[in-house]
Amino acid sequence: MATTTAAVTLTSDLLSDALSVSASTTCMKAGTTADGLDQMEYGVVEIATGTAYDIICSTPTASKASKLYIKNHSTDETYYVRVVLDAQNIGSLYGGDWMFIPADFHDANADIEITAVGGTNIIEYALFHEGTILTAS
Amino acid sequence: MATTCTISIASDTAPGFGGINESMTLTQAGTLTDIDSTTGFQRRKLSATGAVDLVTMASELIEPKDNVAAKIFIRNIGYRGVIDKSVGVTIGVKAEPIGKLYGGDWMMMPLTCVDADDVTANPDTDDTVVLEFVMFYEEA
Repeated sequence: MATTTAAVTLTSDLLSDALSVSASTTCMKAGTTADGLDQMEYGVVEIATGTAYDIICSTPTASKASKLYIKNHSTDETYYVRVVLDAQNIGSLYGGDWMFIPADFHDANADIEITAVGGTNIIEYALFHEGTILTAS
Repeated sequence: MATTCTISIASDTAPGFGGINESMTLTQAGTLTDIDSTTGFQRRKLSATGAVDLVTMASELIEPKDNVAAKIFIRNIGYRGVIDKSVGVTIGVKAEPIGKLYGGDWMMMPLTCVDADDVTANPDTDDTVVLEFVMFYEEA
């Protein structure tokens, strides 16, 4: 069984009592307790401004337990990418920001689109999944 | 007044994959100034299917600024020490499903904080499950 783990440590001193959260999860296939995600797509792309692009070119199997990581490696803090899912604007990743979400790709429109703002953004992404709809050559 | 978040992903799915280890300091949009507002750490117990708001943007006591650098951390911690990997809670934004957090799973994602873009949670089953969450944002 392939094993993929994702750990996080979140700390903040915004409150009087400092916040510190640590968690780790093993990424399993949907609805299972013993079978881990066993496929992945990993890359780095430069995204020019102006056009919305699908960050994942293949289509993962819908309504599964895929996990998606995206990081904006731009060093200019004014650069950002807008993240959109099925026409719904989720939020923006500024230079240095990352996100990690479950992504169920529940229908054909549920692609993750990103649009660069400010300049060409350098985006790293990793998708851990359990199958994609491959395109025949 | 810094807020930082570190991620470590390890996987043996591809033999050459060296893992991901990244840290970010949550800052205000387009600046190096630390983000300065938070909802504080909260937990919500869910015991029935049906979408509910985790965060209702228009109801925040302090109005978040729209379309900047807000982020939310959410974790499914199961219930009373039992973490069930086989059932999950679908997290959404303005009724758009993002994905499902199975027992023990966590997520960190940006938010628009626009009034209509509420963060929702919809459990798979009527079994009780608890979500922990905290939102960081800029004050309008």
